[in-house]
Amino acid sequence: MSSGLIVQAVLAGITNGLTYALVGIGIAAIFKGTRIINVMQGEFSVTGAMITVLLLGRASWPYWLAILGGALSGAVIGTAIELLFVRYMMRRQASPQSFILLTIGIAITMSASVLFFIGRSGYVLPPFGGEGAFVMLDAVIGSHALWLIASALGITLALRLFYHRTTLGLAMMAASIDADGAATTGVDVARMRTLTFALGGILGAVAGILVTPLTSVDFAMGINLTLKGFAAAILGGLTNPLGAAVGGITLGLMESLATVAVSSSYKDVVALSVLIAIMIFMPHGMLGRAGRRGG
Amino acid sequence: MRWRYAALVLGLCAWAVLPFILPRNLVDLLVFAGIYTVAGLGVGLLLGHCGIVNLAQAVFYGIGAYATAYLTVEVGAPSIAGFVVGALLAMTVALLLGWPILRLTGYFLALATLALSIIGNALFYEWDWLTGGTLGIGGIPKLEAFGFALDTPLRFYYLAWLVAFLCMLLAHNLAHSRTGLMFRAMRDASDAAASLAIDMQWLRTRVFVLCAFFGSLAGNLFAHYTSFVSVQSFTVDKSFSFLLISVLGGVRSVFGTVIGALFITFLPEYLSRLGDFHQILFGLALIAVVVGLPGGLVSGFDLLWRKAAARKATPHDR
Repeated sequence: MSSGLIVQAVLAGITNGLTYALVGIGIAAIFKGTRIINVMQGEFSVTGAMITVLLLGRASWPYWLAILGGALSGAVIGTAIELLFVRYMMRRQASPQSFILLTIGIAITMSASVLFFIGRSGYVLPPFGGEGAFVMLDAVIGSHALWLIASALGITLALRLFYHRTTLGLAMMAASIDADGAATTGVDVARMRTLTFALGGILGAVAGILVTPLTSVDFAMGINLTLKGFAAAILGGLTNPLGAAVGGITLGLMESLATVAVSSSYKDVVALSVLIAIMIFMPHGMLGRAGRRGG
Repeated sequence: MRWRYAALVLGLCAWAVLPFILPRNLVDLLVFAGIYTVAGLGVGLLLGHCGIVNLAQAVFYGIGAYATAYLTVEVGAPSIAGFVVGALLAMTVALLLGWPILRLTGYFLALATLALSIIGNALFYEWDWLTGGTLGIGGIPKLEAFGFALDTPLRFYYLAWLVAFLCMLLAHNLAHSRTGLMFRAMRDASDAAASLAIDMQWLRTRVFVLCAFFGSLAGNLFAHYTSFVSVQSFTVDKSFSFLLISVLGGVRSVFGTVIGALFITFLPEYLSRLGDFHQILFGLALIAVVVGLPGGLVSGFDLLWRKAAARKATPHDR
């Protein structure tokens, strides 16, 4: 086995891992804000990417505007879900099972809508920064992969600053940690929840748009993205965006090294077995104790 | 009470006559509804009594189907071997996986079973020496009962629904037994249940094993009925279908499971002109039931029935 192969695998692992991290950050943001695990997070990515593809291809918008449109679609869908269903069910104090069933129902609906309205085939977006590539230690890295890495790290840091430094972010955190306490200090808890879903939607859509130049996106990939993102989030302790980034990279590296060492066909088996093992043996993730609740 | 028995007898008569009246393609769908009812009952027991969302039922369904396919086609064993080995295998896997995984609850357990479903499908795909992979295994012999081959939808219909009725009876009796009381204690007051020395971990594991048994049984029937199995029949979508079947009708009602199974099998047939549109409706139906009718369609009928009864009763009360 040449060293180039290993470096290539590590680079692929980091790139894939940061995609999982972006999906995971969305799951963590929604869990942080609402104590709901959103089983349809991957569908935000699929629809975000598909809408960008349509805006670019059929409506022939400029690329940056199409990306903006795709990302905003996530916010719109997230807000709609919160206003239409989650708010009502929260008021009824529905059980976690009901929220699981709700988000599964939305996932089925969205994936089926993509299948019905757009079709079975996969689509790709042009890479950011053109087709260029760099050679690094006998391995090749595309310029888009660099864009993806930079964007993922930038989003992670921005989110951390948002939650710790801005009034809105602090209010969102307060509303999730102690809803009654936050309400007495004048935080509109229900609106914070809506904004949390909008934020989760944007993050999911951006993850989808960033990954589409690397792997083609189709109607069926949402559930797999959700699970990988969930694994990343839970590795990082579930409520911490930085943790999800670390968790995503770990998962991606594990996956691509398993591809080199075992076989590519067992990639998902390895990643998902790791997910189950972590949930059982390391319930607080790799970064130590964090506020995991909800089951 | 007498009315309920009369309705039951009428229903049974209709059930017995139905396949003779309906065209062959609808009888075919009814057979599938019977098979899916069996698998859905297991998911319903777990969700309705233990609060566990099981998204791995397609794996156990697959284990049953592959046990039948491999043993009857590749080994040449009698059909009964497929039933026994499938059930034992599914229940062992459920026991070994359930014991650690059922320590999780809520979202985490649901996602763990979802992961299991994807792992299971990937293994069915990769172990093609056993499962035939995407090519599948064909030529599974038809079942025979008393020298009578069950080779048409009409003939298989009675077997599939007989098994479904027996499983419904089992599920119903379980819910109304001493164990059923334990379920209720566990669901409504888990601390009190623990203080009464109810071993909830073991209870949940047992229901999980029973659910796997139902899944495997449905898989056996499926393999014998279609006489061909391949990985496409055991995807995550199938797990979602089984969940839908148990939730739509009413998760704690055995008749609700039948309604769910009929919905899942008949809707695609009537909407086949619209391509895959039925899947959107499946998702929307799940959302509608979860948001609007948490007790399922059965509770909706119940509500209407009570309203009608109340309207009838009011003039006399005045």
